[in-house]
Amino acid sequence: MTADQLTGEFETFQGELKSFLLRMTASVQDAEDLVQETYLKARSKIDTFRGESSLKTWVFSIGSNLARDLLKSKRRWPETVTDICREEALGNRQFFREAMQIRQTSPQGDFEIREHIAFCFTCIAKSLPLEGHLVILLKEVYGFKVREISMILQMSEAMVKYHLHVSRGKMMEIFDQRCSLINKEGICHQCTELNGIFNPKQNAQEELLKIEMAREVETRSRDELFDLRMKILQELDPFGSGAAELQLHHLEHNRQVMEKYLEENS
Amino acid sequence: MNRQANSKVMDGRAKTIRKTFSRETSVSTTIQADPAIVWALLTHASDFPRWNSTVTSMKGEIREGGSVELKSILDDKRTFKLKVREFVPEERLVWGDAMGSRVYTLTRGNGNSTHFSMSEKIGGPLFPLFAGAIPSFDEVFERYAADLKKEAETIQQSRK
Repeated sequence: MTADQLTGEFETFQGELKSFLLRMTASVQDAEDLVQETYLKARSKIDTFRGESSLKTWVFSIGSNLARDLLKSKRRWPETVTDICREEALGNRQFFREAMQIRQTSPQGDFEIREHIAFCFTCIAKSLPLEGHLVILLKEVYGFKVREISMILQMSEAMVKYHLHVSRGKMMEIFDQRCSLINKEGICHQCTELNGIFNPKQNAQEELLKIEMAREVETRSRDELFDLRMKILQELDPFGSGAAELQLHHLEHNRQVMEKYLEENS
Repeated sequence: MNRQANSKVMDGRAKTIRKTFSRETSVSTTIQADPAIVWALLTHASDFPRWNSTVTSMKGEIREGGSVELKSILDDKRTFKLKVREFVPEERLVWGDAMGSRVYTLTRGNGNSTHFSMSEKIGGPLFPLFAGAIPSFDEVFERYAADLKKEAETIQQSRK
């Protein structure tokens, strides 16, 4: 494969790579830097690509390893990240001023509950151990097979299955306890709460009926509800949707709050 | 590891050999899962309480030269501080303290099966003085092996 061929093919999955790196790092800047680094590294090593996997798998391997290097020395976020960040946001007028301005002026300033569900997963998944975080995103959101993830992360297929099992179980447990969309006793209502702020004329219950996971909560198993949650992430491009700018602003807020929180609680 | 002694033990049943200056409890079982899955379960310290009903908390890193702090249902008020003494991936893990050593061995069987053995020997010159105060490990060992088997087989069979 030539460098020019790489460039052409890279463009076909660059968006997915960038989205994956955003969901790993929770930072637009880091995601953009890592995409560039991934491309440059792939280009410099293109002679070593033997076609034993697809080019996309090979490139994701480079990107995943760069993300792992960046994140391995950083502490993981707590499961209660959204509670901590909510408290901070409520006391931060500047945050709401900026958010309202984006809401009113940006072509990507919509607020949609399903976008916030994806955002919520991005934040809470950062409480998983790093390897589990990589595995669950690669498998459940980006559709790689266990064998491909084994190649991407250079771990045995059995270890991939272990991390996937543990991470799925952990995330299901967290959402089962917290998320009011799937548990009436759930303590977190942030998606509908924010919908009330950004879309005051909307009926949140009507909006929820548009979301399969919320609509089918009574008839689906917890595994199936988790799969439906993953389907929301699969279908959303966090950089390309009509709500992207608002959610990325929110994500940057949470990242900054978490950096401060982890520093103060180290 | 006393393989001869273990071979006489029924699958999943613990056996204890008591001597004047030591006591050794062992259990073994066949697990229908790849050794890598069993190894993953045995080496992710913070994940232990999720699947192992005999461990109430575990902190630290199970790796070459690592150490862990473990609390067991045998005595929840006591924290066992253990050093990892041997670490041969997917084959052998030994941790212990001044009182004794816990040895885990994994042997690949047919297909995706693993023969799992666990033994712990405690003892020393002063052992007779406190032997009576140490509870039996048999039930805890049997639960440990059963929990490991159940969890590893669940992961092996997971649809994902």
